[in-house]
Amino acid sequence: MEEGQSLTSCHVSSLVIDRLCDRAVEHNAGVAGFYCDFAARKEQSPTNILGAVLRQLVGGLAEIPEEIKQAHRDYKRAIGGRRLQLADILSMLQTVVSKKPSFICIDGLDECVVEYRTKLLVSLNQVLQKSPGTRVFLTGRPQMQADVVRRLSGRVMTILITPRRPDIISYLHYRLGEDGNPDEMDSDLEADILKKIPEISEMWVGATT
Amino acid sequence: MLLTNFFQWRLIGQSPGIIRLHKDPAFVKLSRILSTHHLLSTSFRTAKMSRNLFHDNLNSLAGNCCSFNNTATINNAYPRPDILTWLSPLEPRLRHEDIRERRARNVGEWVLQAEEFKNWYAGSGRSESDTGVLFCYGDPGVGKTFIR
Repeated sequence: MEEGQSLTSCHVSSLVIDRLCDRAVEHNAGVAGFYCDFAARKEQSPTNILGAVLRQLVGGLAEIPEEIKQAHRDYKRAIGGRRLQLADILSMLQTVVSKKPSFICIDGLDECVVEYRTKLLVSLNQVLQKSPGTRVFLTGRPQMQADVVRRLSGRVMTILITPRRPDIISYLHYRLGEDGNPDEMDSDLEADILKKIPEISEMWVGATT
Repeated sequence: MLLTNFFQWRLIGQSPGIIRLHKDPAFVKLSRILSTHHLLSTSFRTAKMSRNLFHDNLNSLAGNCCSFNNTATINNAYPRPDILTWLSPLEPRLRHEDIRERRARNVGEWVLQAEEFKNWYAGSGRSESDTGVLFCYGDPGVGKTFIR
């Protein structure tokens, strides 16, 4: 697992999810999020990921849709209790997003098993085809961009996540505030850190992008 | 325990022994202290209850929209928790809370101000140019040290 990507995208995803949640009450929208995790990649199938998304969106509805209640009754009656399939989840997801504006956020596509990722993107495309008002937020590595655009029929806007100077300065302030040896710090050293590290990191970022 | 017993005494304080005790200066002082304490603790409990009630209401309100921040508290005759668990046993909210707690303040806020984000957020899917998907991408080697 490459922590850097995961943490960078997690950070942005969590910011986005919080912003969406803050505004969701005002706009009566549903918000669901999922963080893909390399360590749990085998369990994180499209069925499980979209199941978790569906659960959150249903949990945000004042009333559970009759279609879902009926499906639940049918499953309970089935001998041995058949497990939910991707098609079942998708059908219920389409029901839910058609009832309410919905935001679906999935972080760290690069942490998914490749086949799962492909199925996930295809499934999200099906949701968007039926309910184009649904908003999907995804994060991943640059090399996934072409695949994401292709699987989602080109309905994709992109943002390159790279640390900017204010990010680096804010982060340095944050870490300096946590310094366990404040006696070793003085205002000159702090000013020096806040000046030089952003410069070096910008040079470095410039060289790698 | 002392406090509880004391207030029980006060409630049944009609017996002659208790009335005599009420006249004792030490008892009067203790009575004053404990009354203040009781008032304070009652106020504190009331405030705490109001706060919990406020949180519950807030959760109910938020629950209508964003299940990341709530435990569903909506009246529904149908077994809601059963259905939700049946849909998925996973709780990504916990991971979200963990990430949020470790997040450095003001880092990455520019994403929320980006035109791409605003357009994506405001889109309704009705126009041809509308894009339902926002893909944020980054290289694993970029920003690792700084955004962590």
